[in-house]
Amino acid sequence: MTVNSLGRWTGICGVLAGIAAIAGGLYARSVQPVFGIPGFFGLQWDLAFSGVGMLVGIGIVMVVGGLLSFKWPSLGAVIVNVVAMVGLAYVFDRGQYRWLPLLYYWAAPWVLAWLAGIFAGYALHARVEPHGKVASAGGQSGPAPGAAA
Amino acid sequence: MTTATLNNQGLKRVRMRLITAVIVVFTLTCSGSFGMEDVISSSGPGFTLLLIIVLPFLWSWPMAFVSSELGAAIPEAGGLYRWIRRGLGEYWGFQGGWWWTLSLWVDSAVYVALALDYLQNKYEFDGTTRAIIGIAIIALFTFINIRGLDLTGWSLTLIQIGVMVPFVIFTIMGIAKGSGSPTEPFLGTDSFWTSLNLGLAIMMWMYSGYESMSTLAGEIENPQRVIPRALMIGTPLVIITYFFTVLAGIMAAGDGNWANMWTGGGGIDFVEAAKIVGGNTLAYLMLISAILSNVGLYAGYLATGSRPSFQMSRDRLFPKFFGATHKSWGTPWAAILVMAVINAVLINFEFDALITIDVFLLMFAYILIFVSVIVLRRREPDLPRPFRVPLPTWALTIVVAIPSAIAVIALFINGVDWLIGGLIGILTGPVAYLIFKSAYRGVTDEALEGATVTPNGQLTEFGAEVEGGRA
Repeated sequence: MTVNSLGRWTGICGVLAGIAAIAGGLYARSVQPVFGIPGFFGLQWDLAFSGVGMLVGIGIVMVVGGLLSFKWPSLGAVIVNVVAMVGLAYVFDRGQYRWLPLLYYWAAPWVLAWLAGIFAGYALHARVEPHGKVASAGGQSGPAPGAAA
Repeated sequence: MTTATLNNQGLKRVRMRLITAVIVVFTLTCSGSFGMEDVISSSGPGFTLLLIIVLPFLWSWPMAFVSSELGAAIPEAGGLYRWIRRGLGEYWGFQGGWWWTLSLWVDSAVYVALALDYLQNKYEFDGTTRAIIGIAIIALFTFINIRGLDLTGWSLTLIQIGVMVPFVIFTIMGIAKGSGSPTEPFLGTDSFWTSLNLGLAIMMWMYSGYESMSTLAGEIENPQRVIPRALMIGTPLVIITYFFTVLAGIMAAGDGNWANMWTGGGGIDFVEAAKIVGGNTLAYLMLISAILSNVGLYAGYLATGSRPSFQMSRDRLFPKFFGATHKSWGTPWAAILVMAVINAVLINFEFDALITIDVFLLMFAYILIFVSVIVLRRREPDLPRPFRVPLPTWALTIVVAIPSAIAVIALFINGVDWLIGGLIGILTGPVAYLIFKSAYRGVTDEALEGATVTPNGQLTEFGAEVEGGRA
């Protein structure tokens, strides 16, 4: 795959991760309006900080990150992955197994965010010229210090 | 051990005797049987003993064999990071190295905390004293590790003598004087699967660590010979140790008391079991053994856990500071020191939530190692392999598929908090790669520092030196 197509796939996965989170949040709201934990990092429960609110809110940020990935795959993928971590941290509550259903909603966004990170990683690897590359005309790369080969 | 030459990475290679290497493997994979008490009460006496014998064939032997083959073919500093990189490329190499390192940074602090728990339960000191003792332990082993692998090897040898002498006495007395039945009942619960689930997660942990010593390959003479041999001797030694000490523990606890065996206070652990059959003196010796066991694990994992970050730094995928070596002692002092500082901070806080990332990160790294060995067998069949698993590739694929499946199962049987913590931990991998790769650019495979084999499968000049040391 070319750098461009890897970047495209990063964006697609990022946007889909966000859409999956938003769709999950809206579905959860339709079946259980007060779905989620009544408090997060000291914030008291309201709709914004409910499980529904987190899914939809973070989903929107993931969509934005995914869209940015089409132009800047690394930046976009970092945004998508970091907000996915925040979403999972919201679900995390030691011993509170009753939040297991919320984890199911995060499954698809997590997988897609991880895939976005993988595509972005490969795109970056293809795009960045590493140390030790034989210098092309005008290139500035040289062997890594102490390289054995 | 005697010190030898400095290699081209600024690392000092030490001549490690086979017995010392076996002790290092034993420390990283066993270091006594503390923790097995929880398996006994969860899975039942008979089933625990069966798991001790069967699980290694499905879980730890495959890892020991794979680590031996890869460690012999690619005997480079950073071990598993370099294996995965060669098999699956820079991205996955970084992921494996990062996940493994992150896991060890957190995990190693647990051992100091456990040693402090044992001490605090006995002597009931306050939090400040606990912090001072903890930092003193970390500082001592940080110095020993920075001083060199030879001193680390000696300290681990002394520690393991302190761990195992009480265990040997306890095992003899437990079997001779104990009244508990080692086979009745066979299962700990009415359900086979419940008994298996409860014990499997702990038992997998007890049988982990066989890949760890590979990270030290850059600092040992003839690593392609010493490490596989140590693994082949150490693996059955661990099985024997677990089997007889657990057998003695079940018998020493007394008839029907297997259900009351657990760690963490209130139950019959090995210290309490020793008191039953050997009185206060043996109980005191077992307490010392428990403390030394955890201290030994810490010392061992401080050594191995710091090396992948050092190598990734030299490969321009991690901050440059981690790649610094000590001019006289030839050790990656900065990587060791950073890990020690993280441990010192963690032991002074409640870090239970952080530990939950451990299982996922280690299991994902293990799966990458298993995939790498198969990819390398297919893609580089002629790569020199001084140790080769005596199986054709298709059979090896089946052998590594089983522990890979067990690793996947383990992701889901440790509890929801561990699952979520792990999922968060996994996502740190792509983020870290994107940040560090952007910042430092990495190094081509042709210019990897400390590589023993070129991308074409030819020995490098450095690799020839390593091979030459085999004579």
